Amino acid sequence: MGVTVEKRQQSARRAAAWPSISTVARLGLAAVFLTAGGLKVGDLAASGRAVNAYRLMSFDAAKVVGAIQPFLEIAVGLLLLVGLAMRLSAAIAALLLVIFVAGIVSAWAHGLQIDCGCFSKGGDLAAGRTAEYGLEILRDVGFLVLAGILLVKPRTRFSIDGLLMGEQ
Amino acid sequence: MSKGGRARDRADARRIVEQQKAAERRRRVTIWTSAAVVLVLVLAGLIGWRVLASQQKSTATALTTPAGVVDSGTAWSIGAGPVVVDLYEDFMCPICHEFENATGATIKQLVADKKITVRYHTVAILDASSNGTQYSTRAAGAAAAAAIDGKFIEYHDVLYANQPQEGSSGLTDAKLIDLGKSVGLTSTAFVNAINNKTYDAWVAKVTDTFSSRGYSGTPTIVVAGKQLQGVPTTAQFTQAVTQATG
Repeated sequence: MGVTVEKRQQSARRAAAWPSISTVARLGLAAVFLTAGGLKVGDLAASGRAVNAYRLMSFDAAKVVGAIQPFLEIAVGLLLLVGLAMRLSAAIAALLLVIFVAGIVSAWAHGLQIDCGCFSKGGDLAAGRTAEYGLEILRDVGFLVLAGILLVKPRTRFSIDGLLMGEQ
Repeated sequence: MSKGGRARDRADARRIVEQQKAAERRRRVTIWTSAAVVLVLVLAGLIGWRVLASQQKSTATALTTPAGVVDSGTAWSIGAGPVVVDLYEDFMCPICHEFENATGATIKQLVADKKITVRYHTVAILDASSNGTQYSTRAAGAAAAAAIDGKFIEYHDVLYANQPQEGSSGLTDAKLIDLGKSVGLTSTAFVNAINNKTYDAWVAKVTDTFSSRGYSGTPTIVVAGKQLQGVPTTAQFTQAVTQATG
């Protein structure tokens, strides 16, 4: 009997830890999106060229996608930062990350030598530099794990959600 | 029923009502916050689209295409040989500088021998690498002014010889004017074009044309319509020209 009580206490303690873990995931992911968007928003033409380098769409379409993308990234970053509709925001963040990974996989599969433009303006790589697609995908998968934590455990501390639900 | 039992029933009922109220509140909060998220994302997308549209409009308004350009008004043509070589270069790009150092003399010789016609596309893809001074665009704009005065190659060469480090603030406009002077560019038109950024919007057009052709890095070297892989050595470049000559 003593063992069961101990187990129950352990799982209760673990349950109590989730909001803290989720909060770290939320703020980490917010920083990722704000940085990625912030680095691109100052030069939309370059962002469009980075999208164009993936050769997945016409240049005109790439220009529009490249212009919208940094603003979307910043918006998602801000939503995560303030903690609004956590599950939906996390799902959108995850969806964006899946699209980015798909883009990198496509560039890799087509043998393109490009800078992914994830945290930069992208484009072709300078001679002598090789693309590190594996590492880039691994990094994005790490971010996906953060989004996954939030999808499963959307309750976080210091969030607008919590404030509106009357939890804090 | 005992007195205590009734009190317990009342407490249970109150708890159930409170739970229902809390569930209702959570539901409402979820609906409204989700709507807010969607609204924020749509707004962000619209802002991006509007900003792009206004930037494109101001570029189109400011566009001054310099006289004498070829290839839909996006390149400077040097020489009169049968094989057309397209060079896409950014004045801030160190690899372009290396290519110029290695193969520039060969290109000049081939032009002099009337073997090739070189079309210089002065693209600006490294504007982000000059601390916000947009050196790539300023240098390409100045080169356009030099070309109008008939000294494109001279100015092109002096810009590479004085290439600032990638990531530095680049050369100032005053320095761009001084370098012009050193190769005999002294007209007021040249100085004014640099100071007024006359051809900067045109450089954006050159860069867009480059991207719309599917190119994304500099230097991009195209011999008789065929893009050479990476940065060719002088031997590889010469071989490509010989092959194209047939």
